[in-house]
Amino acid sequence: MAKKEKKEEEEPRIGVFICHCGSNIGGFIDCKEVAERAKKLPHVVFTQDNLYTCSETGLAAIKKGIREHNLNRVVVASCTPRTHEPLFRACIEEEGLNPYLFNFVNIRDQDTWVHQKVPDKAFIKANDVVRMGVAKAEKLEPLDKIIVDVTPTALVIGGGVAGMTAALNLSNQGFETHLVEKDNRLGGRLNGLYKLFPKDQESSELLDALKKKVENNPRLKVYTSATVKNIEGFVGNYEIEVEQGKNIIPLKIGCIIVAVGTSLFTPEGYYGYDGEKRITQSQLEVKLKSGTLNENEIVMIQCVGARIEERKYCSNVCCMTALKNALIIKEKNPNTHITILFRDLYTPGSYYEEYYRKAREKGIVFIYYNPEKAPKVEKDTIKVFNEYIGEEISIPYDLLVLSVPLVANAENKALAQMLKVPLEENGFFLEAHVKLRPMDFATDGVYLSGSAKWPVDITESITQGYAAASRASTILSHNTLEVEGATSSLPEYNKALCTGCEVCITVCPYKAISKNEDDEIVITQVLCKGCGVCGATCSNHAIVIRHFTDEQIMAEIDAFGGK
Amino acid sequence: MVRKLGDNSKSVVVIGAGIAGIQAALDLGDMGIKVYLVEKEPCIGGRMAQLDKTFPTLDCSICILAPKLSECYRHPNITLYTLAEVQKIEGSAGNFTVEVLKHPRYVKEGVCTNCGDCGSICPVRGVPNFFDADLVTQSAAQIAFPAAVPPVYRINPDVCLYLNYGICGLCYQNCGADAIDFTQKEEVIPVENVGAIIVATGVDLAENIHTLNVYGYQKYDNVVTAMEFERLICASGPQQGHLKTLTDGRTPKKIAFLQCIDSRNDRTQDYCSSVCCMYTTKEAMVAYEHDNELESYVFYIDLRAGGKGFQKFLLRGAEEYNIKYIKSKISHIEVDENQSPIITYENLESAEIKQMRFDLVVLATCIIPSLSNEKIAKILGIDLDKNRFIKTDPFFPIESSVPGIYTCGCAREPMDIPRSVAEASGAAARAAELVKGG
Amino acid sequence: MSFEPKILGFLCNWCSYAGADLAGVSRVQYPPNIRVIRVMCSGRVDPAFIFKGFEVGADGVIVMGCHIGDCHYLEGNYEAEKKFAMVQKFLKLIGMDNRIRLEWVSASEGARYGAVVTEFTEHIKSLGPAPTGSDNPDQTMLTKLKAIKVAASGERMRELVGRQRKITEEENVYGEKTDMETFLKIFNSAIVEEFERAQILISLGEDRKSVKALAVELQIDPSIVLGHMTILKARGQVDFGEIVGITPMFQRI
Repeated sequence: MAKKEKKEEEEPRIGVFICHCGSNIGGFIDCKEVAERAKKLPHVVFTQDNLYTCSETGLAAIKKGIREHNLNRVVVASCTPRTHEPLFRACIEEEGLNPYLFNFVNIRDQDTWVHQKVPDKAFIKANDVVRMGVAKAEKLEPLDKIIVDVTPTALVIGGGVAGMTAALNLSNQGFETHLVEKDNRLGGRLNGLYKLFPKDQESSELLDALKKKVENNPRLKVYTSATVKNIEGFVGNYEIEVEQGKNIIPLKIGCIIVAVGTSLFTPEGYYGYDGEKRITQSQLEVKLKSGTLNENEIVMIQCVGARIEERKYCSNVCCMTALKNALIIKEKNPNTHITILFRDLYTPGSYYEEYYRKAREKGIVFIYYNPEKAPKVEKDTIKVFNEYIGEEISIPYDLLVLSVPLVANAENKALAQMLKVPLEENGFFLEAHVKLRPMDFATDGVYLSGSAKWPVDITESITQGYAAASRASTILSHNTLEVEGATSSLPEYNKALCTGCEVCITVCPYKAISKNEDDEIVITQVLCKGCGVCGATCSNHAIVIRHFTDEQIMAEIDAFGGK
Repeated sequence: MVRKLGDNSKSVVVIGAGIAGIQAALDLGDMGIKVYLVEKEPCIGGRMAQLDKTFPTLDCSICILAPKLSECYRHPNITLYTLAEVQKIEGSAGNFTVEVLKHPRYVKEGVCTNCGDCGSICPVRGVPNFFDADLVTQSAAQIAFPAAVPPVYRINPDVCLYLNYGICGLCYQNCGADAIDFTQKEEVIPVENVGAIIVATGVDLAENIHTLNVYGYQKYDNVVTAMEFERLICASGPQQGHLKTLTDGRTPKKIAFLQCIDSRNDRTQDYCSSVCCMYTTKEAMVAYEHDNELESYVFYIDLRAGGKGFQKFLLRGAEEYNIKYIKSKISHIEVDENQSPIITYENLESAEIKQMRFDLVVLATCIIPSLSNEKIAKILGIDLDKNRFIKTDPFFPIESSVPGIYTCGCAREPMDIPRSVAEASGAAARAAELVKGG
Repeated sequence: MSFEPKILGFLCNWCSYAGADLAGVSRVQYPPNIRVIRVMCSGRVDPAFIFKGFEVGADGVIVMGCHIGDCHYLEGNYEAEKKFAMVQKFLKLIGMDNRIRLEWVSASEGARYGAVVTEFTEHIKSLGPAPTGSDNPDQTMLTKLKAIKVAASGERMRELVGRQRKITEEENVYGEKTDMETFLKIFNSAIVEEFERAQILISLGEDRKSVKALAVELQIDPSIVLGHMTILKARGQVDFGEIVGITPMFQRI
């Protein structure tokens, strides 16, 4: 292991405080004796037992200890670091010590509380873990919080409803925002829609209102027919190149929001799709918008190309789209016969379920089909096995409408590589955590919203647009970004050890490690979360995991062995 | 990450500290905005804290929630008021004044060490714990669950002998930390210069307002609600996750999960609860992991699984966890001489009337709006929809009917955790616009 | 007095340490033999920590992390699993692989934490003291354990572990992918080779020894020892010292 050129350091002077926690610890073991024994450990210059070390009295005792005995390391043996470490760290900091020169020893939750019937053994354990804690404390080093500057500017990629919403919100929060759209106009999929469920309001109404706000916002700059060409840097400090026609526009950006939306599946080879008599819902909307729909016998089939072996997912919006278009047709011409062949009707929540009821009331016929006995499309009729009556029925049609899923954009892959973020198996962007970080990527500073992540309706696109803006704002709202100092590092004195094997890059889940132009390993401190996997993997022990260094843990293990 | 308080003079009040309220508060706090988080229960975490695992990843709910709870508790920009409610507001968007009523806990926060000595000495017994779906009882000195945040006990004034009759006081004598304080009184805390308010009151469940007798609930002991089942299979629940029937302690080998209980129904709630198809599958999976001989039957109308990875989750359930999905309508439930429920149902795929015997029946009961919604709506002056959820517009999903008052999560419509978290961030973004004066 | 094993536990901060605390809050009782070292992630557990634990007298070592899929750091526990698999293979060479354990314990599994610790403690009790442990450790075994530590800490093993996922899950520049079976073949032979090489290095110590002498001492086929010497020479770890008669003597550099 690496020899470290130790800078001149003062001799460790450790103070150990043993907490009785009322009778929770003191009722089982002799805390005074634990403190006495700790006094004999190397570098320990002061020990004390307190009724409640976390009380104001206890904290004052720690401060007094630091002052009177010139302590430069503090160990508290008490409940658990998970709840009380921040309190004690703050306490020693108030007395001028670096907060990382504190070590917590657990003698309650993992000792007296779990060995109540064998207090003598709990006592031995307490002495052992205090010894281990002191051994680690001796090796502790002061750490500084890491601070980087933040450019208070956002880049939103994709000018659909999610992207526009995010960009608007960020500029209303006061941040300069750049919105890049690959099409020659804003709006994304809204441009192709006629009316919107569940209010049946024209799509252009919503779109025009949004566009107006976007165009009138002084802090919001829109680039249409433009794409992001290059992305360098990290959270707070991105350098971006946007290509618009022949121009390359350089931007300095703090956070990036991905809102590139989604594409429609083309049902080639499904149910005799021909784009004329057998069309998609989207093609139906064009007909509705232009008023060229004359057909009277309409059949819709749901889940065309979705929930099948090669595309297992449900596309979320197709049932509502079918209901919407069916209701629009019924509204115009109540005599039209509309049959919807479905597998599971997807109308969750209160608004959509009500819409479904409305559709049933208007006389739209719903027939369940089993995918194993899929409908058969003939020239003018559809044959479907009606499970309920147990026989095949024929439905005449003059227009067949196929509900097809939204699929991931083909360009996602290139963008994902540029951003160093992952895609999931269907080609949609993959968030950091399905539940608790739905708008984040594992990489800090890059956020996700709308159908780029997963097919969603307008309502969810709007909430997700706001949500991604909120996440970005948690970074952009500050001039600087401060992160905990307990991260991994490749210290100067270890650089010679690095062989450039790159296993650290492979195992880092946060893309915090990379190689610079000189082919040297660089750890971007703000991206590191301190898990320590790189250090445990590093093929030549060059990486140091601060606050959990090899040296510190080895000292603990030695102390475990009684040394 | 370390956050500083920005120079915003205005703050935000968040009502409800379930996962939605917590997320909204954390986002705002991280933006450097002062937040007052008001929760009516003694602890934060809401419904998510009660869950064993979560779909579609099957990760442990409290494992992923706990770090957020403590972050919220410690956040320098978040002031947390538990056992508290908003009782009055004045002003308008950008400049509200809010009055918070804080009920006494009778235990001093910051002094209590969560050791439980008060709870063990308290002579009052048999107080049902809402957190364990009332399946477990406590004393009058109580904490909802061991990892609750704040990690502080509470004396329940409804049942405490000292507070009601002036006798006892054993907890006071037994507490080594001197944390018990019977002199605490109700406190009115005015919060001024509030830029925006976020309502995240979450949900209650159909069993809170309805006896569900039609489905044999409360009539037969082997008919339980999904929330009760959740606690029964939870590692930290009343049976440490080893599922047993409540009648004779048998390990159930065949479980029926009935969907849409009191929802999508003309007589009760007509809407869809959105999450039951998924959590039912999860519950059946977790139960199967404890016992590989288990057979589960899900009786459903439509399987609704539109979220990311949801369809694959259902497929896994059918292929790997011995779950059978039956498109059906339930006729009625009775029990045999062993108290085993027998379900009569119509199979909608074959149009046959059939019967099946089970060891346990689990009811996926309808998610209903928080019972506090009506009161809170009145205080805030916001509209509710016909189902008593907070009224929103599909294209203004975060805005309530009053400018400056936002909502998110199940307060406005039933939804799953990912969506609640996303909406919470969304509400935070809207509130931030107002606070920052945009 | 009955045998009281010394057990060392490495617990990740987010799940298993929280689970251990919950066991406390719930007053779950379990044997008092375990001493815990807290790390942020089970993936932080360097294989050397485990060997070191045995070196200083542990009778059993247990590593605990979040359940697969629940890792606070996304996939640190996968990394822990791979490192642990290597440790296990090495310890098998000296018959001590049954003294280590990798368990997933979540923050809600207080009772399970207690059960796992109880079961592991009982298991180690039934095995008796580790040959490397107690007050009077078996010196041969200790030497072998040291050799294992050297082997596992070497660049080759660490690179193989670090690259495993990349090698088996991604294609190389030629569009080829190594399947798990091929990888394991390479991996398993690397374990044996590096163990033997580490034994050679330790045996050489300050001395000069011939291939034949080493072969007899370590009970390895002379041709294999010679092969190792070629590699160790290429790595710059050994070199010819003098030639006695026609026999070259090797020494460490």
